[in-house]
Amino acid sequence: MDTLTRRKFLQLTGAGAIAGVAASLSIEEIAQAALSNPLPIGTPIVVVVTLYGGNDGLNTVVPYQDSIYQASRPGISLDASKVIPLQDGLALNGSMTGFKSLWDQKKLAIVRGVGYPQPDHSHFSSMAIWQSASPQEHISSGWIGRWLDSQPHDPMRAIGLGSVLPPLLAGAHQVGSVLPLGGLVIPSGTLAQQCAQLSKASGADTPLVALAAQSMADLFKLSGDVGPVLKKPAPVPDVLPTQAGGNFGGDSSLAQQLDVVAKLIAVNAPTRVWAVSLGGFDTHADEIQGQTKLLGTVSDSITRFLGQMQKVGRSRDVTVLVYSEFGRRVKANASMGTDHGTAGPVFIAGGRTQGGFYGDQPSLKTLNNGDLMVTTDFRDVYGAILEDLLNTDKSRVIDGWKSKLPVFAKA
Amino acid sequence: MADLLDRLEVSRLVHRFGFGPKPGEFKKLLNMGLPAARTQILTASKSDAAADAVVAPKLTDLGFFPTQKTQAAADFNLARQLQINSLYTWWLDRMAVADQALLERMTWFWHGHWATSYDKVQYAITMKIQNDTLRKYALGNFADMSRAMVQDPALLYWLDAGQNSKQSPNENLARELMELFTLGVGNYTESDIREIARGLTGWQVYRSGGTTQFNPLKHDSTPITFLGHTGTYDALGISDVLVTESACQQFIPARMWFRFLSAENPVPSDLSDSFVGRDINQLVQTLGRHSQMRAVGNSQVKSPVEWFISACRALNITPSKLQNVGYAISALTNMGQLPFNPPNVGGWPADEAWLSASSAQFRLSFAQYLVKQGDLSTLAGDTSAQAIADWLGVAEFSYRTKSAFSAAGSDPARLAILAICSPEYVVNA
Repeated sequence: MDTLTRRKFLQLTGAGAIAGVAASLSIEEIAQAALSNPLPIGTPIVVVVTLYGGNDGLNTVVPYQDSIYQASRPGISLDASKVIPLQDGLALNGSMTGFKSLWDQKKLAIVRGVGYPQPDHSHFSSMAIWQSASPQEHISSGWIGRWLDSQPHDPMRAIGLGSVLPPLLAGAHQVGSVLPLGGLVIPSGTLAQQCAQLSKASGADTPLVALAAQSMADLFKLSGDVGPVLKKPAPVPDVLPTQAGGNFGGDSSLAQQLDVVAKLIAVNAPTRVWAVSLGGFDTHADEIQGQTKLLGTVSDSITRFLGQMQKVGRSRDVTVLVYSEFGRRVKANASMGTDHGTAGPVFIAGGRTQGGFYGDQPSLKTLNNGDLMVTTDFRDVYGAILEDLLNTDKSRVIDGWKSKLPVFAKA
Repeated sequence: MADLLDRLEVSRLVHRFGFGPKPGEFKKLLNMGLPAARTQILTASKSDAAADAVVAPKLTDLGFFPTQKTQAAADFNLARQLQINSLYTWWLDRMAVADQALLERMTWFWHGHWATSYDKVQYAITMKIQNDTLRKYALGNFADMSRAMVQDPALLYWLDAGQNSKQSPNENLARELMELFTLGVGNYTESDIREIARGLTGWQVYRSGGTTQFNPLKHDSTPITFLGHTGTYDALGISDVLVTESACQQFIPARMWFRFLSAENPVPSDLSDSFVGRDINQLVQTLGRHSQMRAVGNSQVKSPVEWFISACRALNITPSKLQNVGYAISALTNMGQLPFNPPNVGGWPADEAWLSASSAQFRLSFAQYLVKQGDLSTLAGDTSAQAIADWLGVAEFSYRTKSAFSAAGSDPARLAILAICSPEYVVNA
């Protein structure tokens, strides 16, 4: 598999079958909501960053001094010259200079060995497990979606960037909204009037026909003359992240997505959870170059985003969560890559995060069929976010779950 | 006057087992009666004069990538671009002009099933070889298709099986072969994947020319154990075992049900009976004649390529003859579906995914571009909603859409734009 995008998960994890249909929001609507119902300063905001494809954790948080690590991966192990040492014999991938600065400021938590019991090696199944927070039984609602179910209805409460709804935002009764990137151009004159007529609902419509009409209506909700927030420049952070290492040039979609989120947080959009994503982590072949570039993008764009949040007075409010559906096999394959594995690191940055390591680093000596043993359940990460940031009983959202990581400082 | 359910069924037949009607075709099908219409749509012709008249692109082995930033690299990239563009228009033309479109439609389905992307393969000739293989077996026996595909150079390269040795096998092909191509998730174990990965080692791919070579020195010939079998297996032996599995008999009919009939209604339990011999054509006959073809509520959204090709057929447009083919290719790219470039090995999404505000915008611009160059003579004498529905193979337009038509008066170009962007055309009821 080359690049793995969010769309596939929609189809194969069944999010398309969710009863409700996601509203596609216009910038205008969000801007109006921000004016009429601004999010008070001091309210926690969560930005979920999904890395699609299965990020290789061992080349992200690198046990570079471990001889088993070096021996298992001829040609694709990272030695001391290609990493940024942290502590305990672990180091960040050399492209992650921004994350190193967050680490030094105690704003970055690295949760080690994260996964769930009986790991599934399928992209689709494992991503469905992470997004539904249900390893044992298949359920089609997402964990943020079920949190939405517990809240009064508000289409602004959780927003995914892109044209399709990520499964984690789909609840049983409520769904998050989607915000397409980039501007939309609408026709004018009599064609516009006739298209507006085409976009009306009709009693005989099947659900999909109704949705087709709705998509045309959504297009027309956009208007050029109401202060489009997106045309404003994004907030500029005071301290720019260093460009050494991971910046291979060119815009990445993750940076663009986070720029849109930054602009909307800057105008006090009443949104508590944002979902963004980056694909391409399925590094079965020629891993080093590809993953290094992607991790540089993750590190640079998130560090820049947190700088923007500082500029707009939201640095204590905004927390970023970074995860992928699985880590990769300890041993390299014949194609200078790695196959699907199990546990991997999760990053939590900004807001009330108390920086440092959490969870045990999985042993390279004791493997389960060539894979790392899981030391931390991802539901402990979600539990902390639900309870400490979203002020919601975790056991209600994640069926009976009782524990959480002590990663956030008291408000 | 054909009854509405008949119109619904013929509309589904001609849009889902073909790429929509050419002018006059829908009424002709209605007039011949349902049994004859079903046979007409579901029987692939031995040869299709219109499709076969599309000249195959001249694709050559372009060799290795030259050193970057040299004149040679510039020439090479231009040659590569010309070759892939000629491949795009060749296939789009075949879809748009075929008199009997079932074969192209099935090839299109299998392209989404064995989804392989030029984005990684990077050589048009190698993608064309795969496309020829998919067409060859599109209505044949799935066991033969699977055997051909496990040796297909584009697929092997795409799933990293071309640099696969017994010392450290790569599991990418092994996993997707079972999960996405033959059995479906949950019908194998992690151990099966690791064992099969060993059996699949030894292939080398020369992707610039689209050839493969089996290197016994790199093949793991020790016995492997998977799905209850133990023995020495190569790719063909593994393919045969997988296709024989009962999970395969369930999985392929379920995938076709999802793409041709319904994403909302469950697969009928007896559908797999038609696939007992792994005969794809027999499964197509059962699907196309299924009672659910007449049932209300099995709507399907036309994907961007399906929408574009059906508009071309209605407007008598041959894609390669558009004033600016590059515009059409970038329009399809913007809409999220360019042939030979699926987003990943799972293929393209379905239904709701194609109904965002941004897709509505691109569809509207593209429709205006196409209608300017299209043949609207069908609407010359009669611009009634009924005439438009017959022209496009729509079972019935809603009051909403008829009102939009009324507002447009009798301007055929404006009516055509509204009709091909109407909810009833974007979604096949």
